[in-house]
Amino acid sequence: MNEISVEKLFKENQDRLQLVILNNENGFNKVIKEPELHRPGLALSGFVDVFTYNRVQIVGNTELAYLETLSSEDRYSSLRKVLDFDIPCIIVTDNNVPPQVMIEIANEKKITIFRSVYSTTHVIQLLSAYLEKKFAPFTTVHGSMVDVYGYGVLITGRSGIGKSEIALDLVERGHRLVADDVVNVIRMTENILIATGSELLKHHMEIRGIGIIDIRRIFGIRGIRQQKRIEVEVHLEDWEEGKDYDRTGLEEKASSLLDVEVPLVKLPIFPGKNVTVIIETIALNQLLKTTLGYNTAQEMNERLIRRMQDEQTDIRDYISFDLE
Amino acid sequence: MKKTVTVQNKLGIHARPAAELVKLASKFKSEIIIAKNDRKVNGKSIMGVITLVAECGSEIEITANGVDEQDAINAIIELFNNKFYEE
Repeated sequence: MNEISVEKLFKENQDRLQLVILNNENGFNKVIKEPELHRPGLALSGFVDVFTYNRVQIVGNTELAYLETLSSEDRYSSLRKVLDFDIPCIIVTDNNVPPQVMIEIANEKKITIFRSVYSTTHVIQLLSAYLEKKFAPFTTVHGSMVDVYGYGVLITGRSGIGKSEIALDLVERGHRLVADDVVNVIRMTENILIATGSELLKHHMEIRGIGIIDIRRIFGIRGIRQQKRIEVEVHLEDWEEGKDYDRTGLEEKASSLLDVEVPLVKLPIFPGKNVTVIIETIALNQLLKTTLGYNTAQEMNERLIRRMQDEQTDIRDYISFDLE
Repeated sequence: MKKTVTVQNKLGIHARPAAELVKLASKFKSEIIIAKNDRKVNGKSIMGVITLVAECGSEIEITANGVDEQDAINAIIELFNNKFYEE
């Protein structure tokens, strides 16, 4: 999404930010095109050369205290100079009352002024989080997204390979479905990918042979969740005789989604293979790696290399520790 | 048929060469046995090959039984002689 209207901003934040309209709704059609916020202190003091007027303007105690120090003529010209810019909207924080002249000029320029009961810092935090999400890079992925032991697993693969069936099996085993078939992905901050379901599909899925089923109704609230960070991609492939598959896990692969690298596991499957248990194990093994820094394949290999360099140990030395 | 070969790469058969070896062995239909000092393991099993702890300089006996045993042995010996493409 590249822009949102002032009206949408108001409706979606009215409760969160405790917003009230101080003048009127004439500025509701204006659009916000940037996720950043701006405090117009310097602009009010007269420096408007690099004034980022197209951002939501946050007027706090500092700005209002400064305006208080001005004579009424100076206050008028200061506000006139700033409000002449095409500002999308203004939020006055801390339950402050802005000067009457500010509201009058804003009315004339069709700029809506809101007031929040919260402090400037709090308003900036809440609004930044909201806008960052709205302006975040966005894509959709054909796959299934499941929270497996708290680890976000994105299952991909060709149509009909059994992604939904595997997701269903995972839910049945106590894991939580985020989305099936259509996975919406947004990038938060630098490198965090968040997956959500489509608003229309909710937690429905299609299982070939049954049709459309509602996971939430069938498995209840414990079987679903609204969003989850993507932490690993499991790409399902048809098993091919003679093809090289990863045998050690030493080499770490990654796929790229919205310019973020996602650890990738390519999983060859064939009928009868218990993919669900393997995916649970992938999640747990990734947890070991990322949470405890324990890379099984690597540590095993280091142990082996040390052993080859040492004196050769006999199997009897190993057994001597265990007399059971 | 049987053949003996020496491990020539510096680090010995650690995980990466072991993976190369089992991937190559898995391409053949023949049963493949890799042995070091009378310890025998299945040449298509990575965990088996790792437990040989085959350091540089050790002697490895390769046994292949099946329709493509000659090709299998030749290919595996080539992999050893090429130091598992490590150096």
